[in-house]
Amino acid sequence: MPQQLAVIVLVDVGNALESRTLEGNTYLFDNMKLQGSENQGTGELVTAINGSYWSDGSQASEQVLNWLPYSLGSIPPTVPRGYEAERARQTDEQALTELDHLAATSGTTGVDAASELSRIRQSAGRRVKTTRRTRGRLSGQKVLDVTGNVVSDGGTQAHSYPAPVITDICGQAVDEKVIYPAEYGSPDLVTDGWYWSATVDTSRPGTYAYTMRIQLHQLVEQGGESLWEPVNLTCESKIRVTTEPKRNAFTQAGLGLLPVPPRAFS
Amino acid sequence: MNPKVSIVVVVDVIGALSDGTLRNGNLCMIDDGEQSTGQGTPELCTVVQPGQVVTWSALAVDLQTPVEIKSITFLDPDAEAGDAEAGDAEAGDAEAGDAAHAPERTEGAAGTGNAGARSERNGPGPERNGHAPGRHNPELEVWSGVVPHLAPGVAHQYRLEVQMYEGEHSTLHIASPALMCQ
Repeated sequence: MPQQLAVIVLVDVGNALESRTLEGNTYLFDNMKLQGSENQGTGELVTAINGSYWSDGSQASEQVLNWLPYSLGSIPPTVPRGYEAERARQTDEQALTELDHLAATSGTTGVDAASELSRIRQSAGRRVKTTRRTRGRLSGQKVLDVTGNVVSDGGTQAHSYPAPVITDICGQAVDEKVIYPAEYGSPDLVTDGWYWSATVDTSRPGTYAYTMRIQLHQLVEQGGESLWEPVNLTCESKIRVTTEPKRNAFTQAGLGLLPVPPRAFS
Repeated sequence: MNPKVSIVVVVDVIGALSDGTLRNGNLCMIDDGEQSTGQGTPELCTVVQPGQVVTWSALAVDLQTPVEIKSITFLDPDAEAGDAEAGDAEAGDAEAGDAAHAPERTEGAAGTGNAGARSERNGPGPERNGHAPGRHNPELEVWSGVVPHLAPGVAHQYRLEVQMYEGEHSTLHIASPALMCQ
């Protein structure tokens, strides 16, 4: 059926950054399982693209592919867009309240002001530095874990990663002009306002490989500051293009009379 | 006379599957005929002339949802009681009295007309062009035909079955649209 074809690219960002490869750390799914896609949920997905043609050989239907990258072990992309900024503001306010309380009680015995200050600093977290290369949804915000709590030491504690970003789609299927990919602006903020999409020339059946260039982000400490450093990796997948002739549904061949049961002319 | 008449079936797939019916505004039909009645409703009566080519196509309101025409069967008024419309009455629908207007989930190859031929095609077969064995691909079918000589002034009702993705609850039908010669 002529629905848009979606390929979900689910990346285990933590492990991919550690091993510096997407191989074995990427899980691909599409919505064409019933139409013949194979190896769903693995890195070996073969996406079925079933085209059709008219009796004169011209392409009869348009197949459109969309890629959606998701991160495994991140705050879901479906939380409100301002979630990270909101959490940063909330934790700042909480720290101020705790500081107020500390100021009021610091003179009394039994209060270790130094250790209390250290604790408040920990729970307030730290904002990630924004640089020209690391601008993005999460730069300038605090490092959070997947439950939305502030992480004070991103170097050692588990934390949420920014979503993977597809920066290019290339390879055999593109070189041979079977798919025509491009990045488009999108009103869907779940994908940060951008997505990769391609139309498919279904006139040449066969299996074609393509490569996605994917950018991940690693939290690094530099000069006493944290920043998201981009890491560029690649991931391969395949499409299998088939095409079949259109036919008349009533006759299973060419155009004919409509099968209307005869009725007496009055 | 325009040599062609196009009938478009617009389906709110999510609405239809959620409600389990093509009524409640989940399906509407439009054609480009000049004297048709019931435009924008499931009761579209398309006025045609012998020799005209009528083409039906399905459109989804939400472009991300799949919908295709699964079958179009012209009803034989003499056999109507024994047709799938008997099933409509069993549905206990509030409109059961008006059988032709009651939508119903389609049970397998119920009905007459081309439904028999269809189930044959749905059966197991050799693998074709990389598809799963015998998979019926409704996208390949063009619902088009030439209007024969019909009794004038009589609404020839047809049963329109649509398929939304696959699975046992994926097909629904209506029996309210018609073609009519003047």
